Amino acid sequence: MNIASDKLRQLFEPKPLKVIETKRQMSIVRFSPCGKLLLAGGCDGLVHRWDVSGDKPVELPAVDGHGGWVCGLAFHPQDKSTVFTADSWGQARAWTYAAEKAQPKWKVENAHDGWVRDLAVSRDGKLVATCGMDRHACVWAAADGKKLHGFAHSEDLFSVAIHPDTKSVVAGDLKGNVLQWDLASGKQARTFDAKVLYKLDRLQDCGGVWRLLFDEKGATLAAAGCKPSSGATVQGIPTVLLFDWASGNQKTSLALGENIDAFTHDLAFHPADFLMAVTSGQPGRGKVVFWRPGEPKAFYESNKIENCHSIALHPDGRRLAVSGTSRGSNGNGRVLKNGQYVGNTSPIHLFQFAGG
Amino acid sequence: MNIHLCKPWEHQLSRRQLLGTAAAAAGALGLGGLGGLVQPAVGEELKKKRKQVLFIWLDGGISQLESWDPKPGTQFGGPFRAIPTSVPGVHISELLPRMAKKMHQVAIVRSVCTKDNSHSAGVARIQRGDPKNRGVTYPYFGSAVAKLLGPGDSGLPPYVWVKPGSGGFIHQDAGFLGAKYGSLAFGDGRPPENLLRHESVSERDNLERNELRDLANKRFGQGRRKDANEANSYVYDVAMALMKRQDLFDEKKVPDKDWDRYGRTEFGRHLLIGRRMLEAGITFVKVNSYGWDTHGDNFNAHRSLVPKVDQGVAALLEDLIDRGLYESTLLIMMSEFGRTPRINGHVGRDHWPEAWSVMMAGCGLKPGAVIGKTNNLGTHVATEEHDIGHLFHTWFKALGIDAHSTQYDNNSQPLPIAHEGCHAIEELLA
Repeated sequence: MNIASDKLRQLFEPKPLKVIETKRQMSIVRFSPCGKLLLAGGCDGLVHRWDVSGDKPVELPAVDGHGGWVCGLAFHPQDKSTVFTADSWGQARAWTYAAEKAQPKWKVENAHDGWVRDLAVSRDGKLVATCGMDRHACVWAAADGKKLHGFAHSEDLFSVAIHPDTKSVVAGDLKGNVLQWDLASGKQARTFDAKVLYKLDRLQDCGGVWRLLFDEKGATLAAAGCKPSSGATVQGIPTVLLFDWASGNQKTSLALGENIDAFTHDLAFHPADFLMAVTSGQPGRGKVVFWRPGEPKAFYESNKIENCHSIALHPDGRRLAVSGTSRGSNGNGRVLKNGQYVGNTSPIHLFQFAGG
Repeated sequence: MNIHLCKPWEHQLSRRQLLGTAAAAAGALGLGGLGGLVQPAVGEELKKKRKQVLFIWLDGGISQLESWDPKPGTQFGGPFRAIPTSVPGVHISELLPRMAKKMHQVAIVRSVCTKDNSHSAGVARIQRGDPKNRGVTYPYFGSAVAKLLGPGDSGLPPYVWVKPGSGGFIHQDAGFLGAKYGSLAFGDGRPPENLLRHESVSERDNLERNELRDLANKRFGQGRRKDANEANSYVYDVAMALMKRQDLFDEKKVPDKDWDRYGRTEFGRHLLIGRRMLEAGITFVKVNSYGWDTHGDNFNAHRSLVPKVDQGVAALLEDLIDRGLYESTLLIMMSEFGRTPRINGHVGRDHWPEAWSVMMAGCGLKPGAVIGKTNNLGTHVATEEHDIGHLFHTWFKALGIDAHSTQYDNNSQPLPIAHEGCHAIEELLA
C-alpha cells in the first residue's frame, strides 16, 4: 500500500466509537481473527470477553482458570475458535473462545516457573511460544500443548515472537538482548543488540525488551521498551528499535515521547505499512502513536488516553482498541471514594479510522 | 584563629577535614558513654550483655505486598505468587525464596500503621520513633542506641552508616543528644579519603601536631557550647580510631565465597561490610539501599531489587548464627512506609503508611513470629495496629532497655526515649 505521507493522517486518524468500562485493570487486549470478539487479559486472573460485532459492545462471561495476571493472549490465526493465554503464575493454556461457555483444549500448569511475560502464535498456527521470568523461552505444539523446545537465557525474558516463516523464534530480555533461536537445530542463531533499552540504576535493573513484533513480511523486527534514564519510579523515553531481519542491523530508533513517557507497552503493524504503538509513563501520561518507518516523525500522536497498556488492530484494518487507565490513578496514602478504597480500571477505547 | 570555621561534621569526612579543624581538644571525650541519662545504672547492666544492632533501611518504601505480606489472587495482589516458608502456614512473596527458608529465624510485624505518607517527613519521623512533639528534635534510632548502649570496647564509633554515594559525619541524626551521636557514614562502604598519615609527615611530627591541636582546641572550647567542642574532638578521635582499623576496609581480607554469598551487588557488598563492622564491635550499624520509591514499574522493580536483598540478608543471618552474634544482635529491615495496594497507571504503587510490614530478628525476639495481619485485600490492618512507637519500645526492650523507666536528660529536661502512648509488642519478645 503506497499512501502519500500527507494522506496518512487523513486516512488513519482514529475517531472514537465507544469506551468499554472494565471493573479491573487489564494487561492486554486483542481482537479475534473473525473480528467479532474482543478479549482482554485481566489483572484479576480472568480473560474478559466482549462481542463487538454490533453497535454496542456486549460483555460475555469471563473465562477463569488462570492465576495472577493474564499477560499473554494470542489467537490461532486459522481455526477461528482457539485462543492461547498465559498468566503470571506460570500457566499456559488453549481454549475455545467463541461459545458462551469457553471450553479448555489443553493447559500446562507450570509452563514456566512464575510470570509468563509474553505469548506468540506462529503464522501457520502450529506453534505457540512463551517466555518468562524463569529465563526460558519455550515452544509448544499449538494442537496439544506438547513442549517442543526450551531455550535457556541468562536474564529474565519479557517478550517473544515467531518469525512469519516459522523457522525462528526471538526472545527479548531484561538487559536488552534479543536472541534468535533456530527451530530446526534448536540452537541460538543471532543476537540483536537492543541494550539501549536497559540501564542499571543503583541496585535496580530498569527497562528490558518489552515487546517484539515482526511486520507482515517478516523483513522488519520491532523491539519496544524504554530507554531508561533513572530507576525507582522508572523514567525514560519510550522507544522502538527497528531491525532489518536479513542483515540483523538496526535500521532506526523511534523515540515516541519525552522522558516522563517511559515505556512503549504494546505494538501493532498496520497493513498500510505503519507502526502503531501505545505508551505509558508517569500516572496520567499515555500516548497513541502512528509512525511509518522511514518517515522523520510520527504522523499521528494523541495523549488523550491515560497510561495506555495495549493496542489491538481489528482484522478489518479499519478499527482498533486501546486499553488505558482510569483517571486520577495515583496518590499517596488513603484515597477513598464514597468511603471505599477503590482500585483502578482499564477503560478500553474503540476507534474507527477516519478513512473508514 | 577563625572561629567561623565550618564544623567538621558538616563535611564529607576525610582525614584532612577531620584533623585539619583548628579546634581540636586535648582531652578526648570518649566515643559515646551514658552521660546524659537519668538512669546511668542501665549502662553497667548493658555492658555485661553487649547488645548490637544491624539496621537495614530500604529508602523509598519496599512494597509489603511484594515481600512480607503478599495477597496473591486478590484485587491488589499483583502478579507474583506467595510461597510457603519454614514456618508452617506462613507465606511470603516468591521474590524472597532464601528468606522463606529462614522464616523460623526471623519475625515479621504485618500490622504496622504509621502517620506519614511523604518521604520528607516520613524518613525522619520513623527513624526518630515519632515521639510526642515537645519542641525538640529527637535522635534517630541509631543515635539513640549509640547514646544508650555506648561504644563498647572496640574504640570505634558507636553508630556507623554504610551507604551508597558519599559519606561524612551526619550530625543531624543525633537531634538533641548533640552532634557527637550522629552517624559516621562510609560512602560506598569506603573509609574517609586520605585517612592515613601522609608519608611525608613523621610519627614524631604527627604527635607534636596533635599536641598543638589539642591545645588549640582547649582554648577554642573555653566559653563555648560544650556540645560543639565535643563534636570537634569526637570526629578527631574517630579519625584516630579508624586510622588504626584500616583492616576493616580491606576487601581483600574477605573471602571470595562471601562476596558470592551476599551477592555481587552494591547492597550485598555494603551488607557484608556492615557485618564486618558489627564483628569489629560497633554498636549500631546502618546499611541502606536507595531506589525503592516505585511509583512506576513497581513489579519489575521489585523483581529486580527484592531478590538482591533476599540473598544478602539470608547470608547475613547465616553468619550471625554461625558467629554467635544472633542472640546479641538486633536485626531490623524496614522503610519509611509501605506501598499502596492500589496499582496506578504507571503500574506502580504509591506511598502507604496504613498497613505495612517490618522484618526483624535476633536479640531475644521470638523466631518465626508473625505479628498482626491485614485484611483480605491488604488495605488495612485487621488486628491491633502498631505504630513506630510500639516498635521502638519493642526494640529497646530487646536491647535490655526499659523504655518506660529510662529517660534522656536534655539539659535537665527529662524526655522519654520512646512514645509514652505506645508499648512493646510482648508477643514478639521471646
